[in-house]
Amino acid sequence: MATAGLFVFLAACGLLWSRNMTHGVWFLAAEGLALTVMVWTSGPLTAATLWIGFATLTIKSGVIPGAMHRVISQWPTEYRQDQPLPFWAYLVAAGLVLAVGHVIQLLSPSGLILHRALFFYGLASIHLGLLMVVSRRHVLSQVAALVGIENGLVVLAASVAGALPTFMELGMLVDLLVAAAILVWMSRRIHRQFKSTDIVALRRLRG
Amino acid sequence: MNVEYFAGPLGVIVLALAGHYLRWPRVPEIIAVWVTVTLIGTGLLSYQGILVGNWPAILVMIVNLIAATSAWDSIPWGHEHPNMRRRRYYVWWPLFWTALIAIALASNLAVAWLAIEFSTLASGALIVEMGSRRALEAAWKYIVIASVGLALGLIGIIFVYGSLRYQALGWNTLNYSNLAHVYRHIPLIVREVATIFVVSGIGTKVGMVPFHTWLPDAHSEAPSPVSGLLSGLLLGLCLITIVRFIQAVPLPSSVGFSGPHLLLAFGTLSLVVGSLALLVQRDIKRLLAYSTIEQVGIMAIGFGIGTPWAETAALLQFAFHAVIKSTLFYTGGHLSVVYHSKRLDKITGIARDHRTLAVVWATGILALAGLPPLGLAYSEWMILQALWQNNAVALLIILTAALVLTFAALLYHLLRGLWGGLDVSPAAVGLARESASKISGPETATAGGGQH
Repeated sequence: MATAGLFVFLAACGLLWSRNMTHGVWFLAAEGLALTVMVWTSGPLTAATLWIGFATLTIKSGVIPGAMHRVISQWPTEYRQDQPLPFWAYLVAAGLVLAVGHVIQLLSPSGLILHRALFFYGLASIHLGLLMVVSRRHVLSQVAALVGIENGLVVLAASVAGALPTFMELGMLVDLLVAAAILVWMSRRIHRQFKSTDIVALRRLRG
Repeated sequence: MNVEYFAGPLGVIVLALAGHYLRWPRVPEIIAVWVTVTLIGTGLLSYQGILVGNWPAILVMIVNLIAATSAWDSIPWGHEHPNMRRRRYYVWWPLFWTALIAIALASNLAVAWLAIEFSTLASGALIVEMGSRRALEAAWKYIVIASVGLALGLIGIIFVYGSLRYQALGWNTLNYSNLAHVYRHIPLIVREVATIFVVSGIGTKVGMVPFHTWLPDAHSEAPSPVSGLLSGLLLGLCLITIVRFIQAVPLPSSVGFSGPHLLLAFGTLSLVVGSLALLVQRDIKRLLAYSTIEQVGIMAIGFGIGTPWAETAALLQFAFHAVIKSTLFYTGGHLSVVYHSKRLDKITGIARDHRTLAVVWATGILALAGLPPLGLAYSEWMILQALWQNNAVALLIILTAALVLTFAALLYHLLRGLWGGLDVSPAAVGLARESASKISGPETATAGGGQH
């Protein structure tokens, strides 16, 4: 279970680090796979966890990366690369990951955290996802970052609550599916209308 | 949750799809009638709850009222925008309405969160349907910023759930009634962290000031009937979700970052920034959006004071604001079509050219500015009174100054819109008189001259 969490964290690092969007999609699919394994190994296998696992596998490592991959493969090569990560982002990333240790220290007297390693991986993945939203400039990087944050949230939930209620897990999955569908559809329109996949092109509305 | 309330949106989807495939004429009119029927049904179903002051009943009534006006306004709006794909509009619109009803009725934090997230997506899709580059940009920022904010809010919710996992109640753990019952078992530090996360996370959706950056863009680029729903209902309902949470999981007031403190701080910031930004706006719908930020700030202050009187005032503020602001957004949308521009310096001389729109626009803006016989003046007065009773003098002064500033700014824009662009210099008036006398003959000219 903790190993699966570690894989989610490593994939989140890869997602932040890789400039090539095709690699990013693979990292995203790997996160989905690791989450599925985590759901299935976190406790006794019941019908509910089985279903959540299947839904996670289908949506997070099937549909969403698949849709992103399809869009990317239709674009010319110059739109498949993101800009290099600015130097400050590496420092902030290191700082944010180290800050998780402080959060654990702060919260551990309350007995909230069931599984410290898993908590670390979850919160660190969320932090890296948040950093990715502000430092990466490709439109699909932002979609990937949102999915990554959501994956981190699932790991975090597993570390403090064992598992979330089935209803919430499925609700979050459906919301994420709709969100990713809309955002991928929008990124195609952005590419068509702005002739760019860089969010710096989105700068008309200010103030 | 009462399932019967969702018959309304479901009916709209069915009617829209049936109308599309069977090629019915006048689908928007049929849908508007259906939404009105739903409104009447809601009234019959929940009037007892409304009479005893049951919040969900009141909120659902307000939601369906504004939904009905939005459906009726969608008819002329659709004629003004023939390029809009009607079938898609009438699929996303009821989904957005569903999310609004769900937020209003939710007695569970998890359900409320899911509904808020879904409302972002449905309204974002409606903004994209506008098709322009600006709309695309606004919708992208809206969905990304709001989703990140809501993810942070979810961390808070997960922490609350995690520290109550021993109850083994599943998602019922997050029922507000259950939370209010057992909140003492949640360690203080977890309650603090969760409150900060929930208030700022869902506060992103409310558009409270440090997190408001998406709001003016989304409100100005959305279809006007949707802007009305967004501004009038969604923001207030998200604020009420925050209030329900901080009432269910209170913190001792000695804690620096307790829920009411955060609401007061963010509310004051929103109030100040919103009212300062009003004066310099150049776009008719952005003007209304910034006024929404200011109004939400006042509501947050009301809820932050926390006495029953102040809460009633904030709820009244929400209701009046919903009616007034949605009407203004509809009118603003028609004005921007009539004048082929959303720029305030192009929309001038309304009083001369478009009498009906001028009357509605003027009444709405005056109500928004807080002119006494119209609703908002009353609820704002109640909030001022609550501040006075709680000895919050500094806040009282800020609120008064902001209200005066808002009044001045809105009146400036209103007067410019109604009579601006008319040439009233003596030379021009003389010319007009001369031409009038040439047309109507010397007798009337002397009579008219004598009167002036």
